[in-house]
Amino acid sequence: MSSEERTQELIKGLYDAVVNMDEEAAVELSRAILKEGIDAYQAVTNGLAAAMQKVGELYANKEYFVPELLLCADALYAGLDVLRPHIKAEKMEVKGQIVIGVVEGDIHDIGKNLVKIMFDAAGWTVHDLGRDVKIERFMEEQQRTNSNIVALSALMTTSMMAIPKVVQMIKALNPNVAVMVGGAPLTREIATSYGADGYADTAANAVQEAVRLVEMFSERKR
Amino acid sequence: MRQERMTNKERIEALLNGQPVDRVPLYPFTLGFSAKNVGYPVATIYSDPQKSFEAQLWTQEQYGFDWGPVYGYASYGTWEFGGEIKMPQSDYQQAPAHTAFPVQSAEDIDRLELPDVKTAGCLPLAMEFSRLQARQGMPITLVFGSSFTIAGNICPVEKLCRWMLKKPELVHRILRLATDHIVDTIRYWADTFGGEQVIVQIWEPLASNDIISPRQFEKFVLPYLQESSEKILSIGVKHIFYHICGEQNLNLAYWAQVPMGNPGICSVGSQIEIATAIKHLGDIAIIAGNIEPRIIQTAEPQQVYELCKRAIEAGKKAPRGFMLMPGCETPPDAPSYNVFIMRKAIDDFGWY
Repeated sequence: MSSEERTQELIKGLYDAVVNMDEEAAVELSRAILKEGIDAYQAVTNGLAAAMQKVGELYANKEYFVPELLLCADALYAGLDVLRPHIKAEKMEVKGQIVIGVVEGDIHDIGKNLVKIMFDAAGWTVHDLGRDVKIERFMEEQQRTNSNIVALSALMTTSMMAIPKVVQMIKALNPNVAVMVGGAPLTREIATSYGADGYADTAANAVQEAVRLVEMFSERKR
Repeated sequence: MRQERMTNKERIEALLNGQPVDRVPLYPFTLGFSAKNVGYPVATIYSDPQKSFEAQLWTQEQYGFDWGPVYGYASYGTWEFGGEIKMPQSDYQQAPAHTAFPVQSAEDIDRLELPDVKTAGCLPLAMEFSRLQARQGMPITLVFGSSFTIAGNICPVEKLCRWMLKKPELVHRILRLATDHIVDTIRYWADTFGGEQVIVQIWEPLASNDIISPRQFEKFVLPYLQESSEKILSIGVKHIFYHICGEQNLNLAYWAQVPMGNPGICSVGSQIEIATAIKHLGDIAIIAGNIEPRIIQTAEPQQVYELCKRAIEAGKKAPRGFMLMPGCETPPDAPSYNVFIMRKAIDDFGWY
């Protein structure tokens, strides 16, 4: 068993590996963490996930851009692949489940993929439907997975017109499913007019918005 | 509407020649909108040059636009370099979209070849469209993405982004081919119509600062913009029209280093204030912009009118001239009155 100092050193190293886009270091440090008997859950939470939160801030502040964010995500996933199988079952806390996709007619999925990364890093189970997703697929996947949230993305003014139809379809079936939206042509005002419950203007803000929605819907049920 | 002292053609010619114009010209950027306006499917604009030309011409006449029909789309490059695209089919599709990229791996780059400009992808359609422009005595407008945007249509953008940091030499190889292709194509057009008749439009959405940094712009975008522009101008083209799409405030100082002709034309999105565009580019280019398409589609006419008023008041001071224009393509489903109101705002505030 490692000393507290050694534990912190390795977790800080893991954090730095993600922020510095170093996939190999993320793997090596994750293996070292396991070898030294450090709790994998602690390493994921305080190392990988915390680092990705920092990366989200760097992206929001225009210090990092999509190329950097993608390489950080590669380091994140490389570390997760090593550590995840060793997280003790009782600690496998799933923060929530989300269905995500780019709506029908739209092939622009960079933003959606960044949002997916942030949810993965934050410990959510993400059901990614990809891009140009038919309207009814969102509803089917939500039903299949019983996800808390459906997240819809659109980059074009034309494709965003599919959003109110998806929202309507989901809400007709189950009004307790929260729908959030994002993408260049959308605003909170438009999101509200489309019947969506939430809106995020950046990938970095999406998880926070989803947490808010889960709490809001839990309150409603009480 | 006040009595005009110039025809649309005279107004655009005067603007390009640095002569006074009677009022601010209106550039419509109405592709799918024109199709729907005359009852055609949106795909017609990209797949049927004759109908595309007519739909845009009739819509221009109806709304009083100054710039005439153009042929082009943002995912240019996929088809021409051997990939596949699909034409817009559903109500939610706006333009052709790539379905298979020519490059998925580093090995695929070895197999990439410069396209035959007479037969590749949409170029025969674009040539047919240009012949219709020539027949009407219009400037021949040839539309491309920049080398960088074409690279993002040859290779998936996320792969391109990763290679920018890990294997930049692969990105430069794709950019080399994209740049050579742009120049080859323009040479063919110049041979056919005369270089002075051709106005090259280059759309650059991928270099947005929502995607890449200004430093990455400097390394991967600027050198190829400069090279292609110098070669285009040496072929005899007089004006290059750059559509600086999306959030590019951090790139503007670099854009000012790109040769554009005399004058160039720079259209900007709603993310860039007209005054900012004039500050960086106003001495070398006619400025065009920047009415937000989302507002044109979703807001009430008064809001569109106010945005137009602001843009016109700021733009009229541009030293090389100004065109009112949507910040990107006019949404095909925009309310008719919101499109008309742009012309109305010019009539109320755009006279010189």
